[in-house]
Amino acid sequence: MYLKTLHLQQFRNYQEQWVDFLAPKTILVGNNAQGKSNLLEAVELLATLRSHRSTRDRDLVREGELMSKVSATLERQTGITDLSLTLRRNGRRTVALNSENIRRQMDFLGILNAVQFSSLDLDLVRGGPDQRRTWLDTLLIQLEPVYAHILQQYNQVLRQRNALLKKIQSSDEQSSEELTVWNEQLVSAGIRVIRRRSRAIALLAPVAANWHESISGSTEVLQVKYAPNVVTADEHLDELQQAFIEKISSRAIAEQHQGTTLVGPHRDEVELTINQTPARAYGSQGQQRTLVLALKLAELKLIEEVVGESPLLLLDDVLAELDLHRQNQLLDAIQDRFQTLITTTHLGSFDAQWLKASQILHVQAGEIASG
Amino acid sequence: MALHILKRPETEIQALAQALIDAKQQVGLCSVCFHLSAEPVCEICRNTNRDDHTICVVSDSRDVIALEKTREYHGKYHVLGGVISPMDGIGPEQLTIQSLVRRVSQQKPKEIILAISPSVEGETTTLYLGQLLKPFTRVTRIAFGLPVGGDLEYADEVTLARALEGRRELD
Ligand SMILES: Nc1ncnc2c1ncn2[C@@H]1O[C@H](COP(=O)(O)OP(=O)(O)OP(=O)(O)O)[C@@H](O)[C@H]1O
Ligand SMILES: [Mg+2]
Ligand SMILES: [Zn+2]
Repeated sequence: MYLKTLHLQQFRNYQEQWVDFLAPKTILVGNNAQGKSNLLEAVELLATLRSHRSTRDRDLVREGELMSKVSATLERQTGITDLSLTLRRNGRRTVALNSENIRRQMDFLGILNAVQFSSLDLDLVRGGPDQRRTWLDTLLIQLEPVYAHILQQYNQVLRQRNALLKKIQSSDEQSSEELTVWNEQLVSAGIRVIRRRSRAIALLAPVAANWHESISGSTEVLQVKYAPNVVTADEHLDELQQAFIEKISSRAIAEQHQGTTLVGPHRDEVELTINQTPARAYGSQGQQRTLVLALKLAELKLIEEVVGESPLLLLDDVLAELDLHRQNQLLDAIQDRFQTLITTTHLGSFDAQWLKASQILHVQAGEIASG
Repeated sequence: MALHILKRPETEIQALAQALIDAKQQVGLCSVCFHLSAEPVCEICRNTNRDDHTICVVSDSRDVIALEKTREYHGKYHVLGGVISPMDGIGPEQLTIQSLVRRVSQQKPKEIILAISPSVEGETTTLYLGQLLKPFTRVTRIAFGLPVGGDLEYADEVTLARALEGRRELD
């Protein structure tokens, strides 16, 4: 797939900006705080309806404005699509395809695919389990857009069940018929999440391990393993259901005591190990970077395989942070197959050959000039 | 509507305001089914031509109005007055569920149709009622293929009529 144009209106520090992408690689160069990451964020939003930097739409709307719009023209094998996302300071966002409003955000997802890779992604290794869940969920949304709905339903059940547990906690109620029903809801919504996460990791793990082997020169073995909160011996639906229900009843007293849900995929983990050692504890920054790079390359390949077209790659500052060997590994892997947007403060660290083949855009104070 | 009203002469607005206040005072809830009604018992409950053996349970009076428009349903209704939602402090006690159980145990209907929106809260309410009512009688639910996040209110009449035909046993 190829992103032909991007149009930002009142988005972050942009007032009104058109961008035409003229080469498979675009380098956005500029000083700090000029709007390079903001542009990548706009593309990320069109792909996932999420931003890894912000959870509130009001932050995305240009200061002093009420509304913001991000639009793009995307070329895919199936044809050309106009996408647009309208964000509001106060109010719900809306999305449109070819100027027609789409009621379900789910139908908007999966049109544009992109893999985001920034220096923040080191948190995948260093951060807590929630970082890895968010990463996996964002990937899943692109692999199967219906997952956005599945996840939202699970989170809604979770919030409701937590509210009920709080109420039970403060009222000393013994058992509750209502809780039984919320348990059933937690199990059925939770199982949909668990099965998809498990499937995605099963597909991703070998690809990531391969990349890791080739980048590290086969001295290290990367293992990516899904460690669900509800564990079963086999993947069978009945088994999983049974295990889930049993775990809920085994934690019933603790849950009522703490007034919160202790069982379910909101407590899942994705374990990353290198040579059998947890990656967080293992190795240098460089080694952790290799790991994240392998994960990102695996994401690219997986989306390409499942979607049938190559996703965009958004490289925010990371290229300069990689040593030459890893830079070349990455560039070799993407070649011209993946349209790539790259941000940097200096062109100096780029290969000359590479610079020649790329479109270079200068970003300054929310304005873009080609040069 | 507010803008439209503001353009009218003041006397007219006063008359309208009074009419709205009267309406609010007069319209109460039917003591049997909790549908909006000016009388103690609503027109649908009083209508002897309607089938007493079926009760269709909905969350809101608007759903009754939507289902009535289909002219496909000839039984009685029961309006819950919402759905179970702990976050909003709404449990079974806040809804008209006790009255429903009383009604069912006394009237012994042949079928109860649950027609509640498929949101997380609606689904929970459906499951809860299913467990509660199954000992008394046959419980079915409307199998509506409404869009995600869609409410009964917005379903067109054809969709609803088809949904009524395709209702299925609650398991
Ligand atoms: N809602 C907003 N309205 C106006 N300006 C904003 C808004 N949100 C962010 N900004 C501004 O955008 C700038 C940051 O842009 P961005 O993160 O894209 O920088 P960058 O070019 O990637 O810099 P760096 O090289 O440091 O990563 C900041 O000056 C910030 O004040
Ligand atoms: Mg930046
Ligand atoms: Zn009535």
